[in-house]
Amino acid sequence: MKVVGKNVIKIDAFKLARGEPVFTDDFTRQGMLYAKVLRSPHPHARILNVDAAAALKLDGVVDVIWHRDVKAIPHTRAGQSYPEPSPYDTLILSPKARFIGDRVAVVVAESVAQAIAALDHIVVDYEELPALTDMDQSLTNSEILIHEEPDPRGISEAGMTNIAARIDKQVGDVEAALKECDLVVTRDYHLPRVQASHIEPHISIAWVDEDDRLIVRTSTQVPFHLRRMLARILEIPEARIRVIKPRVGGGFGDKQELVVEDLVGVLALRTGRPVRLEFTREEEFVAARYRHPQRVTMTTGVMKDGTIVANRMYVLADTGAYGSHALTVQGNTGQKVLPMYPVANIHFKMDCVYTNNPISGAFRGYGAPQGCFALECHMDEVARELGMDRLELRKKNHIKLGDTDPLSAKLGEGKEGLVRVVKSTGLEKAIELGCEAIGWGNKREPSAAHLKRGLGMALAMQGSGIAGVDWGGATVKLNDDGSVNLSVGATDIGQGSDTVLAQMCAEELGIPYEKVIILSSDTDLTPFDVGAYASSTTYISGGAVVKAAAEVRGQLAGVLGSHWECEPEDIVFSDGMVTGPGDQSMTIAEVALFALYKAMIQPMATASHMSNDSPPPFAAQFAEVEVDTETGQVHLCRFVSAVDCGTVIHPKMVEGQIEGAVAQGMGYALFEEVLLDRTGRVLTPDFLDYKIASSLDVPEMVTILVPTDEPTGPYGAKAAGEVPIDGPAPAIVNAICDAVGVRMFRIPATAERVWRGLKEETR
Amino acid sequence: MWKLQEYRIATNPAEAVALMRKGPGKGAYIAGGTDMLLEHPACDFVVDINRAGIGDVARTPGGDLFLGAAATLQELVGNEFVTGFAGGAVSMAASQCGNRPVRSTATVGGNLCNALPSADMAPVLLALDATCYIADEDYQESLPLTDFFVGPRLTVLEDRLLVGVALPGECAGWRCASHKLTRTAEDISLVQVAVALGVDDGRIQEARIALGAVAPVPMRASLAETMLTGQEIAAITPDVMGDVAAIAAGECDPLDDHRASAEYRRDMVSVLTRRLVTRILSDDGDNSQDGAA
Amino acid sequence: MNISLNLNGTATDWEVAPGQTLLQALRASGAFSVKLGCETGDCGSCTVLLDGQPVNSCVVPAARVNGSRVTTLEGLLGDDLMIRLQTELVEQGAVQCGYCIPGMLISLYALLKQGPPIDEETIRHALTGNLCRCTGYVKPVEAARAVAAVLEETS
Repeated sequence: MKVVGKNVIKIDAFKLARGEPVFTDDFTRQGMLYAKVLRSPHPHARILNVDAAAALKLDGVVDVIWHRDVKAIPHTRAGQSYPEPSPYDTLILSPKARFIGDRVAVVVAESVAQAIAALDHIVVDYEELPALTDMDQSLTNSEILIHEEPDPRGISEAGMTNIAARIDKQVGDVEAALKECDLVVTRDYHLPRVQASHIEPHISIAWVDEDDRLIVRTSTQVPFHLRRMLARILEIPEARIRVIKPRVGGGFGDKQELVVEDLVGVLALRTGRPVRLEFTREEEFVAARYRHPQRVTMTTGVMKDGTIVANRMYVLADTGAYGSHALTVQGNTGQKVLPMYPVANIHFKMDCVYTNNPISGAFRGYGAPQGCFALECHMDEVARELGMDRLELRKKNHIKLGDTDPLSAKLGEGKEGLVRVVKSTGLEKAIELGCEAIGWGNKREPSAAHLKRGLGMALAMQGSGIAGVDWGGATVKLNDDGSVNLSVGATDIGQGSDTVLAQMCAEELGIPYEKVIILSSDTDLTPFDVGAYASSTTYISGGAVVKAAAEVRGQLAGVLGSHWECEPEDIVFSDGMVTGPGDQSMTIAEVALFALYKAMIQPMATASHMSNDSPPPFAAQFAEVEVDTETGQVHLCRFVSAVDCGTVIHPKMVEGQIEGAVAQGMGYALFEEVLLDRTGRVLTPDFLDYKIASSLDVPEMVTILVPTDEPTGPYGAKAAGEVPIDGPAPAIVNAICDAVGVRMFRIPATAERVWRGLKEETR
Repeated sequence: MWKLQEYRIATNPAEAVALMRKGPGKGAYIAGGTDMLLEHPACDFVVDINRAGIGDVARTPGGDLFLGAAATLQELVGNEFVTGFAGGAVSMAASQCGNRPVRSTATVGGNLCNALPSADMAPVLLALDATCYIADEDYQESLPLTDFFVGPRLTVLEDRLLVGVALPGECAGWRCASHKLTRTAEDISLVQVAVALGVDDGRIQEARIALGAVAPVPMRASLAETMLTGQEIAAITPDVMGDVAAIAAGECDPLDDHRASAEYRRDMVSVLTRRLVTRILSDDGDNSQDGAA
Repeated sequence: MNISLNLNGTATDWEVAPGQTLLQALRASGAFSVKLGCETGDCGSCTVLLDGQPVNSCVVPAARVNGSRVTTLEGLLGDDLMIRLQTELVEQGAVQCGYCIPGMLISLYALLKQGPPIDEETIRHALTGNLCRCTGYVKPVEAARAVAAVLEETS
C-alpha cells in the first residue's frame, strides 16, 4: 500500500501549529451577544419565579430567559442516533432544578462582563426539595422522586422509582454453574467520577443568516445529531438549521452531548443577533458530563485448573440529575468487557439511578473502563485465591479467533444486539510482546529501601462502531488537475479522522495523499455521519470513503475502458498514474481532463457505509510501579501497551491515541476524582484540585502496534481510540498489589488510600 | 471575570501604601497576580507593586540574603545569591512552586502574603529564620516571619506592604532541605516540611524544622528542634530520629479536607521530618545511616 | 486606561479595562493563537512571552504590561527556531487537537532559547505548565528532544 500505513503529515497539523484561527471561538460576528447561565445553588428545588427586572435594567443586558420563556419539549441531550436509547427527561429550561449547577435562567448581554454582572441581579424564588445524592439511597428511596414529570419517555421506572435504566441479561445459568465450581470469588470495585477535561471548553456561536436560517458554529462531536435535536426542541425545520464544526479542541465523548447549542439557538432566534456561549472551566466541572461513578460487584466461579465457568457482574451507577447515556454506558460496562472471557454462563445486571448530583454521560471508553477495572482486578484476585499465575489464568480463558462473543446477541445498543464472532485478533501476540517489553516475571529491584516495585497487567477489548446503528456517508469528486474533493460527515475532533479518511481515499484512487482536499462535518455541505463516538470513524466512515472512491475509480475505468478499448477491470490506478493493459498510460490529471472535457462527465460518487459487525480491537497493557511504603505514593515507572487495531492506517496517530489514553487512564488509576460534598456541590472545580497528568507525571511509555487484518474493515482496519483507555487503571492497581500486597478496590489509588491499605495490612 | 474598577501603579513602597489607603472600596496589592483572581475576585482596585523597587535579590554587606517581595520565584530559582545560600534550599523550594509560566510572575512576597497554610515558600524561609520587612507610609518595621502569619489567609500586614524578607548570614552555611508532598508533580502541597541544621564539630548547633499545610499557618516544630539541638550527630540513632519525627508530628494541627485527612498529614510530617534530617546528616558523610529520601 | 507595549515587535497602544486580562486583550487584538483553557493559570493554553519569560496570560492583568514586550506565536512565525519546533511537532505527530500547541510551542521556545544542554528532564519540566489531554506528552517531548539535539550539534 502506498498511502495507508504511512505516517503522512496530519492534514490540519501545520495550521494548528501556526495557531491559525480555526476553532469555534477564533471567529466573531458583528453585533455578537454573550450568554451566561444562572445555575441553581440548590440540589433539588422548584423554580417558582424568576424576577429579571433589575438585571434587564443594567447596561448592555439584552435578554433574560427562564422556563416560562421556552416551550417544554422533553428530550435527551445525549447526541445519539434516532431513536435515542436515552430517556427524554430534559428540558431546555426546567421548572425544577435537579442539581447544584442546573440551569435556571440565561442572560445575554453585549459583553461577557455585563452578562456575568447581570447574574447577581436575577432574583429567583425557589421551593427547596429534599435531595438524594447517594446512589444507594436513590435505589431504595421512592419518596423523593427526581423525575416525576407526567410525560417521560424512556425512563425505566418513571414516576415510581429513581431508576433511570436497568438491564438484566443472562446466558447460561450462573446460579447453577456457581454451585458446581471449585472456587467462587466475589468482590466490590468502586469507580470515581472523572471528567474528560478537553482543554478547549464547550463553546458555541449561533446566528440567523440573511436567508433566515440558524447557523450554529460549535465545538461538537455530533453535528448531524445536533441538527436533528435542535430542529425538534427549537421547533424549526431541519432545513432552516446549518451546523458547522470547525477544529475542535478535544472532545473525548464530552462533546457528544448537547450542553450549549440549544441555548445559543434559542437566544439567536429570540434576539435576531449572533450569540456566543462558552463554558468556564468551572462550568466544565459542574455542568458538562462525567464518566459514570459505579460500584461493580464481580462474582466468578472457577475450577481448580483455572477454567472459568461463570461470571456475574452487577453494576450500580449514578447518572446524576439526568439520564444521558444512562442505559448505554452501563450496558457497555458489561457488553464491551465480559466477552473477554467468553464462558458459558454470564449474568450481567445493572441499575443506573438518578441522583441530585451533576450529570454523568459519555467519556472515552463509555462504560468499559469501569467494567474493565472490575474484571481485570478480579482476575488477579481469582488467580491469587486459586494460587494460579495471573497471566496463565488469562491466557487460558481469554477470547480467541473464531469465538463468539457470548453477550452480543443479548445486549446491543440499549436493545438486542447482533451476533459477533471474532474474525481477527492479535491478543495472543499482544500479550507476548507486552510481557517481553515490561519484563514480566523479572521484577526489577526498587531504588530505595522504603520503595517496593510491582508489575501488573490487564487485557481489554472494545468495539468498532455500534453494529447495525452507526453509519456514515462520503462523497468523492475528481477535479481537473487530478485533485479530489472528499467530503464526509465524519467529525475530526483532534483524533485525526480527516487525515485517515484522506489516506484511504488516496489509496483507493491511487493518487498522492496531498491531492485529497477534505471537507468534513458541515450539515449543509457534507453527507451524513453519526459523528465521532463509539470508536467508529476509521472503521465505519472509512468504509464509506473506500466505497465512494472505488466507485469514482470505476467511473474513470469505464470511461478509459471505452477510450482505450480494454476491460475496465484491467486498468490500474497507482502513484498518480492510470495504466491500461497495453502501454496506455495517463496521469490522474490527464484522466481528469479527459473525463471532464472529452467524456463530459463529472467523476463523482457518494457512498454510505454501515456494518452489522463491530469487530473488537484488543489491548494487553502492563504497568510497572514503585510504591513508597511510608507515604503510599505510587510512581508509575513504565507502561506498555500492545494494541491490535487491525491494519494500522497511520502508525504515529495510533500511537498518539494510545499514549493519550494511557495518560488519561493513569489519572483514573491514581489521582483524578471529582469530589462532591453531601449536597452534590463540586469541591474540585478547577485544575488546581482536579489534577490531570502533566508532562512530569506520565511514565515512560512503550507502545506496540500488533496489526491484524480485519476482514470487515476498510483495508483491514479496526478501531483504536477507546480500547487503550480501559487497561491502564486495572494494570496499575494490579501492579500496586503486586508491589505491596494491598488491593485497591477503590480508585483513584491516592497516596493516602494506599497508605491506609498498608496500615490495615500491618495491623 | 475580574470586576475591577481601578488599576493603580506604585513607584515606591510608601506610595503603594498611600494608594492602598486612598480607597474607596476594597483594595489589594498585586505583584505576580497568579492567585489574584482566585483569592481576591471582588476587589474594587489593586495596587501594582512590580515597579515599586522591591524586586531585588541581594546579599547585604552583613551577609544576609535579602529577597525583595516582588522578586519572582523564577528569579529565586536561578539567582546565584540564592543558589549559593544554605545549599540552594530556597531555590529548590521555589522550583517546586507552580510551573514555569507561573514562576515567571509569581513572587515570594505574594506567596507569603496570601498566607495560605500551604504557602510553598514559607517552610524553607521559616527554617532559615527569615525576617520580614514591612513598609508603612512613613516608617518601616521588621519582625520574624514566625510572627507574620496570623491565620489562614491572614497576616499582620493589614494595609501595609511587605517589602521583602531577609535570611541571616549565619544560615548561609547551614544544611537545609525541604520536601513538598503532592498528588501530582505540580500541585498544591498536602504537607511540606523544611529542615535546616547548623552543624559544627560533629554536633547539631542549631536546628529548625518548619511545617506547611498542617496548621492554620505555616509553623515551626520547636519541640522537635529542641530535641535535635546540641545533639552529637553520631548519637542520632534511628530511634532518636523516630522520636524527633514523632514529636514534630505531635506539634502540628492539621485539618481534614478533600485533599487529605488530618491523620495522613500528621503521619507524613513524621515521615518527611525523619527523611529530611537523615538526608541532611548523611550528606555530611559523618554518619552511616542510610539516606531514606 | 491607555497603555503602550511592544506586541510582536510592533509598538502598540491599547485601551484596557482595569480588570481585563492579557489573554482577553490579546485575543481582542487578533492574536488568536492565545487560547483560553481555564482562566486560572493552570493549563498553559494562553502561554505568551512577557519580556522573554513565559507567562500565563490569563492571570496577567493587561494593565501590567505597559512598557513591556509581549510575544505571541503570531510574532514568531518567521523565527527559525520556532519554525523548526513547529515542523518537528507536526512531523512527530505531536499535534492532535492542537488547542494546547501554541502554548506548548511558546514554552519550548523559551526553553530552547536558553541554549544547550537541554535533556528530556528539562523539557518535561518546561512543559509542566502546558496541560495536554490528547498526546500523553510522548510525541511533544520527542519533538523537542529532536530540536534540542540539532541545536546541540550546531552550537
